[in-house]
Amino acid sequence: MLRSGPWVILFLATRGLRQYAFSTAVASLAIALAGGLFLGTWKIKEEAKNAFSRSSGGYDAVLGARGSKLQLVLNGLFHLEASPGNLSWEQYELIRDTRGVSEAYPIAVGDNYHGFRLVGTLAEMFEKHEWRKGRKYVVQSGGRLFTDNAKEALVGAFVARKLGLKVGDNFHPYHGLTFKEEAKHKDLYVVVGILEATGTPSDKVIWIPIKGIQLMDGHNPETATDVSAVLLNLKGAAGFMLDMKYNKQGNVATLAWPVAGTLASFFERLVWFQRVLEIIAYLVAFVAACVILAILRNAMNERRREIAILRSLGARRATVTAVVLAQAGLITLLGIVGAAFAYLGIGFLAASVVREQTGVLLEPFTYDPSFLYVPIGMLAIGLLSGLLPALQAYRSDVAKNLVQQS
Amino acid sequence: MLDKVMSFLEVSHLRKSFVSPDGGKSLVVDVENFSLSAGDLFGMRGESGSGKTTFLHLLAGILRPDEGSIILDGTEVSKLNEAARDHLRASAIGYVFQSFNLLQGFTCLENIMLAMSFAGKVNETRAKELLDRVGLSHRLAHYPRQLSIGQQQRVALARALANRPKLVLADEPTGNLDPGNAYKALALLRELCCDAGSALLLVSHDENVIGGFDENLDWSDLNRAFAEAMND
Repeated sequence: MLRSGPWVILFLATRGLRQYAFSTAVASLAIALAGGLFLGTWKIKEEAKNAFSRSSGGYDAVLGARGSKLQLVLNGLFHLEASPGNLSWEQYELIRDTRGVSEAYPIAVGDNYHGFRLVGTLAEMFEKHEWRKGRKYVVQSGGRLFTDNAKEALVGAFVARKLGLKVGDNFHPYHGLTFKEEAKHKDLYVVVGILEATGTPSDKVIWIPIKGIQLMDGHNPETATDVSAVLLNLKGAAGFMLDMKYNKQGNVATLAWPVAGTLASFFERLVWFQRVLEIIAYLVAFVAACVILAILRNAMNERRREIAILRSLGARRATVTAVVLAQAGLITLLGIVGAAFAYLGIGFLAASVVREQTGVLLEPFTYDPSFLYVPIGMLAIGLLSGLLPALQAYRSDVAKNLVQQS
Repeated sequence: MLDKVMSFLEVSHLRKSFVSPDGGKSLVVDVENFSLSAGDLFGMRGESGSGKTTFLHLLAGILRPDEGSIILDGTEVSKLNEAARDHLRASAIGYVFQSFNLLQGFTCLENIMLAMSFAGKVNETRAKELLDRVGLSHRLAHYPRQLSIGQQQRVALARALANRPKLVLADEPTGNLDPGNAYKALALLRELCCDAGSALLLVSHDENVIGGFDENLDWSDLNRAFAEAMND
């Protein structure tokens, strides 16, 4: 119930807003939209950048056919896009045995099972490679790694969940990277293990022995020993050396190194999209500020008499001014709460789409300074738009607005 | 009344003028002396447009005089800064208006409690008692628009007495009421002021209303500005 002091201001402000409930809701919605867009564009972009870097599977570089570095990274590490071409088995062996190369795993792609890629590699990768510092692949209990010469499959956690695959299941792979009913291979594979989830694109892959892809029924026998790419970890100055050898002096293969740099260039290409979203968010914020101003100004025109009555009862100028500012603040706070919900929706949606499409695990709700700055900025804009009506309230002529002169 | 010893309200050499539409200055209030004792019930008769409301606004500290002084219970009102005048108005002065001036977005109870809040004396029990006293205990949660005209004025009376003011200023309090309601409202106002020990200064153009006060006078006798305007 009503109390003295600042509570009166809050009481009067909330009552005032209740009288203009619809306009208040519209203004809050506009603010929520602006805030949600601001947070969405900023935080999701940052998180996507971080998540893609985190999800590069613990590799420094990818060696592949001559072509785009980005395509190599997307194909080799994120299992997106088509392979730019093949490398010979000898090229794989050459780089594997190069000084400064600590890890080299060949991969071969070209088949799928219900849209999920089959990637051929060596079982050794799952035994030795750390997909994140200190984290090796783990096979869920009851399973094991595939044998390099058998028609066996190790299924990523996401695929297993989506397709309901379990140890002992059999399946026929399909040719190509997209699922076509008529492109079924005759080969029959058995699931021998399910990998624990890693939150990286490898969760979206069915791993089989590299020979499986190379020798799959219907594949070109002439390329039976080729690999699509080689995933590398390097030591010392090997990166510079290999970059010189393959990219600057050679013309047979391309080395995508460093992976983080290649990804950064990818995100730089998306800057224009972020800019567009930012401009939209600024425009929405501007509209929201105008709506607050319009609501409070209209309310002021209708409330001159009310303010005069309050003043006649002893309310100070500062009190009625604070009421108007509090209303602007409250509308903005409602908008900020709405923005949090909007961001929650955007975050969930973005995370689930990215996970679905790339296997990369976004964490849009981890703390970011923007979670603090955006609401503070929004509050500042809201209060700023309440300044003019507050000034009107401050300067309101009590005697003139109170009664008809007698 | 006039020239009383130990006056509770003392007004002297009070002048207030406004800028008229032609740019000149128009003197509206020019009162040489006026005083009121604590607990007095005083009626002042005056025509519309004669400056009565301006006089009440000056007494309440809503307007500042150009010249002269207003001393209320030992405090020089005209020398107080605005915040102090606001506080004085909230705690020591009750105001009753012709058009009631209830806050439409607030219930009867809230209207009274808001008046209390500005004086820093919120007391829900007293607010309810006041509404009970004016016969509206069953209308606590009603909004002004849900009340009859007479009921609205009773809420306004209760609100004016909410902080046990030393002085109640009533500006044509019966102007919008029918004779029956006017009579009741007036009786109630006098009763409430007597109960609270508040002095009452009521201004009205209605001879019947002012005639009911033992102590009364014509505003035109007091306000030289109006008398001169009439002579011109």
